[in-house]
Amino acid sequence: MKQLLFLCALFGFLSWNVISSENTLADNYTEVEVKDGGTVVGNVKYMGDLTTLSLNLYADFELPETSKSATEKLIVSTVNNGLKYAVVSITDITKGKKKAIPAIHPIIDQQRNTFIPNVTAIPAGTTIDILNGDEELHTVHTRTVKNQPFNLGTTYKQRISKTFEYPETIKLTCDLHKKSYAWVVVLDNPYFDITDRNGYFEICDIPPGTYKFQVWHEELGKLEKEVKINPKELSNIEFVYSQY
Amino acid sequence: MKPKALLSKVGLWSATAAASAALVIGIAPITAKALNIPTEVTEDGKNTYKKYCSACHGEEGKGDGPVARSMLPKPRDFTRGAYKFRTTPSGSLPTDEDIYRTISYGVPNSTMIPWDILTEQQRASVIPVLKSFSEAFEVRKPEAPVDVGLEVRPTEKTVAEGKKIYEEKLECWKCHGVEGRGDGPSAAEQEDDFGFPIKPFDFTTGKFKGGNSSRDVYLRFTTGLNGTPMPSFAKELTDEQRWCLTHYVISLIKPEETSK
Ligand code: HEC
Ligand code: HEC
Repeated sequence: MKQLLFLCALFGFLSWNVISSENTLADNYTEVEVKDGGTVVGNVKYMGDLTTLSLNLYADFELPETSKSATEKLIVSTVNNGLKYAVVSITDITKGKKKAIPAIHPIIDQQRNTFIPNVTAIPAGTTIDILNGDEELHTVHTRTVKNQPFNLGTTYKQRISKTFEYPETIKLTCDLHKKSYAWVVVLDNPYFDITDRNGYFEICDIPPGTYKFQVWHEELGKLEKEVKINPKELSNIEFVYSQY
Repeated sequence: MKPKALLSKVGLWSATAAASAALVIGIAPITAKALNIPTEVTEDGKNTYKKYCSACHGEEGKGDGPVARSMLPKPRDFTRGAYKFRTTPSGSLPTDEDIYRTISYGVPNSTMIPWDILTEQQRASVIPVLKSFSEAFEVRKPEAPVDVGLEVRPTEKTVAEGKKIYEEKLECWKCHGVEGRGDGPSAAEQEDDFGFPIKPFDFTTGKFKGGNSSRDVYLRFTTGLNGTPMPSFAKELTDEQRWCLTHYVISLIKPEETSK
């Protein structure tokens, strides 16, 4: 009987796949084969004053000597003014490459009362594992409306898996350590990247056309740019935030 | 191939499963008298809401009615679908029965009275009205209520075990205080999802907002109070440990303070 049920379920699943061969994942994004896509590489810079920067919450973890941060919010390379943790995305693309959901769940870990990493960008439908690496109680609290919110108490070595279904920019907080938080940026298409510690990003396999590129940073806000993508060409773009 | 037929079979099967689950849940006292909760907003519901609820909860359910201004705790803002008192997991929407229970029982220590002056049918009729205020009910469904196992008999041992969990494993005291007076080290800085200050519950008073039975207390820390800092501890404990913690929390009630 169990086997029968399993078969039923399997058939149900297969036939569902046949019915939905259109492959429309989100309402406004369709997957197609991209043969002659172009690539964008670029850099996000912060040209504001760095002399006031002092506290470096990330010092113990991953920031090399060549980066400075005012708070955990603003991490800037002293070499090229590159801004870390800015999310670059195409906001008006409706057709393109497969929206690959990462099979290995991205991790957000609460270590020494800090969420690491501070910003994570994912395509809608991705599951994130939230860990507690501290030997004390933490909470993970979100306040979303469309994605189901949650507020969970976690103890040492707890691992919680949460799937984010809808595009939304979500703040995770801990009610016991009010200073710590993390951002999860959920996007409806696979054309996005998050800048590295020198502010670099890369987005590839973009079908030729003209698109709106947007960069988002938690403190500095949003910037937008229109970019024309030519078949199999590499374009270079730069976003510059001035004083904040 | 007949995918449609197969699908509907699977559908039928899960419907039966859901129905039998509903039967089990149906043992809860409130649903015992088969209550008819309408699925659509009715004229009756709209009128009842306008007459009895909107002064506090607001015409559009934003918790901003004319008499709400100076109130704390604030009347619930229904637009986010964040309900405190539920049988469903953290973040989930409440079931209709959960909402019905709160309307009938009220919220002790707040201006939300038990609405027993309304008929059962009137109380049921406002439920779709409350739900219509939030888009959350359009995009999500309430999850299935959490399992509440058979209660373990309270003994000195279960209370002692619960004390350990309260003080060491889950550190409830950080918010609720060691003696449960709602004065832990993190208590002062707590605020709800709407930005208003909120106090961790003082267990010694014994007037639990979500109900005083051991099942109620068990449900509160298992599901959490949505829209507040009170988290869910769903993944942290076994069923037996939950009952131990429940017994300990109840043991913190000080009868002489309850009567105050
Ligand atoms: C005098 C003001 C007042 C009136 C009138 C009032 N309420 Fe409330 N209500 C409140 C307050 C205050 C709260 C929040 C209590 C808290 O969070 O501690 C609340 C909370 C609620 C909740 C929240 C339950 C949860 O799980 O979070 C529901 C549901 C509710 N009210 C329904 C109603 C309905 C239905 C009516 C009309 C029949 C009504 N209320 C009339 C003040 C009022
Ligand atoms: C981050 C702070 C925080 C932690 C940690 C916390 N609580 Fe709470 N708790 C609250 C707040 C705030 C409320 C009150 C919410 C309200 O009034 O709406 C609450 C309410 C409750 C209630 C509901 C009482 C009622 O009125 O029905 C229970 C039960 C409870 N907590 C138990 C616990 C237990 C047990 C633990 C540990 C496992 C715990 N709490 C940990 C903040 C916390």
